[in-house]
Amino acid sequence: MKPLDFITGEIVGILLFFIGLYGLMTKKTIVKTIMSMSIMESGIFLFYITINYTDGSVPPIGQAQEAAFVDPVPSALMITAIVIGTGVTAIGLTMFMHYKQKHGITHWSRNRNQTGSEH
Amino acid sequence: MPETSRLFHIVRIAFAVIGAGVVLFLFLNHSEQLDTPLMDYFTADFFAQTGAQNSVAAIYLNYRVFDTLFEALMLMVSVMEVINVSWANKHAEQYKFEKDDFNRKNNSEIVIRMVGIIYPFVLLIGLYIIINGHVSPGGGFQGGAVLATALITRYLVYPNFDLDLHTLEKLEKFLFLSIVMTPVLYVFMQLQPADTTLSHQIYMVTMNSLIGLKVFSGLSIIFYRFVFYEGR
Repeated sequence: MKPLDFITGEIVGILLFFIGLYGLMTKKTIVKTIMSMSIMESGIFLFYITINYTDGSVPPIGQAQEAAFVDPVPSALMITAIVIGTGVTAIGLTMFMHYKQKHGITHWSRNRNQTGSEH
Repeated sequence: MPETSRLFHIVRIAFAVIGAGVVLFLFLNHSEQLDTPLMDYFTADFFAQTGAQNSVAAIYLNYRVFDTLFEALMLMVSVMEVINVSWANKHAEQYKFEKDDFNRKNNSEIVIRMVGIIYPFVLLIGLYIIINGHVSPGGGFQGGAVLATALITRYLVYPNFDLDLHTLEKLEKFLFLSIVMTPVLYVFMQLQPADTTLSHQIYMVTMNSLIGLKVFSGLSIIFYRFVFYEGR
C-alpha cells in the first residue's frame, strides 16, 4: 500500500471533522467556534461525496450503461446540505455581532475584558 | 488555576486525537459493505420516470423533493434571521451610509477592468447551469451560487448600496411559495397530462429556475447585509 493510497476522501473527511471538534473544544473565541463548525461541515461534505466510490464508474448522467454509475444519493443530499451550511454560518455570525454590540463580549468567558485571539 | 486549565487543555487535545484514531481504526478495519438499494432504485429507470438525464436532478426534484422544500425553507429562515435579528435595525443612527462615496481609490484598477470584462460571462454561465441542470452537470443550487458570485463581483467594482433588499426578500418569499406549490401540484397531486415526456421537461426547467433564483436572492441578501450592516 503506497502512502498516497491512504489519503482518500473519507479519511481526510474524518480528520477534518476531528480538527473542527478540537477547535470547538479548545478555542474560546466565538468567531473561532463558528469557523470550527464550518470545518466540521466541510469534513462531513467530503466524507459523503466520496463514499461508495468504485474505480472506473461514470457520472450518473444519461442512459449510457457501458460502466457502472456513481452513487447519486450522497451528492443529492450534500447539495442541500451545503446551502444549509451557508445559512447556519450566516445565522451564527449575525447572532455573534448582535451579542458583541449589546454586551461587548467576544469570548466564551465570564471576563468581559478578555480580548485577543490566542484563546 | 493555570495548572488545571493546562490539564484540561491536554485532556481536550487527547480526546480529539483519540476520537479521530478510534473512528479511523473502525472505519479502516471494521467497515461493513452495505447494499445500495436506494442507488439501484434511483439509477435504474430515472429518465423514463422523471424526464431528467441527470440522476442527481431526478433525485432532488422528483424522488426526494421533500429535501428541496425544507432546504428552501431553511435558507429563507436564515435570510429572515439575518435581516431581522440585526443590531443595525434598532440603532440605525450609527449606520449611516456614505452616500456619494465611490471608494474607487481603495480598489485596484486591474480588478475593476477585468471584472467589467468577465461580468456578462459569469451571468451567462450561471443561467446556462440553471437551464441545463437536468441534462448536464449542474442545477439550481450551483447556478444560483454562480449568479450570486456575479453580484458579489459587482460589489467589487461599484461598492455602493443601491439595491432594494426588501424587494429581494419579497421576491424570495414569493419564490419559496412557488417552489412549494409546483411540486405539490405536479408530483404529489399528479396533475399531469397523459403524455408526460414534455411536461416532465417543463417541470424540471421551471423548478431549477425557481431554485436558482431563490438561492441567488438569498445569498445576495446575506452578502449585502453583512457588507453594509454587520461590518460597521
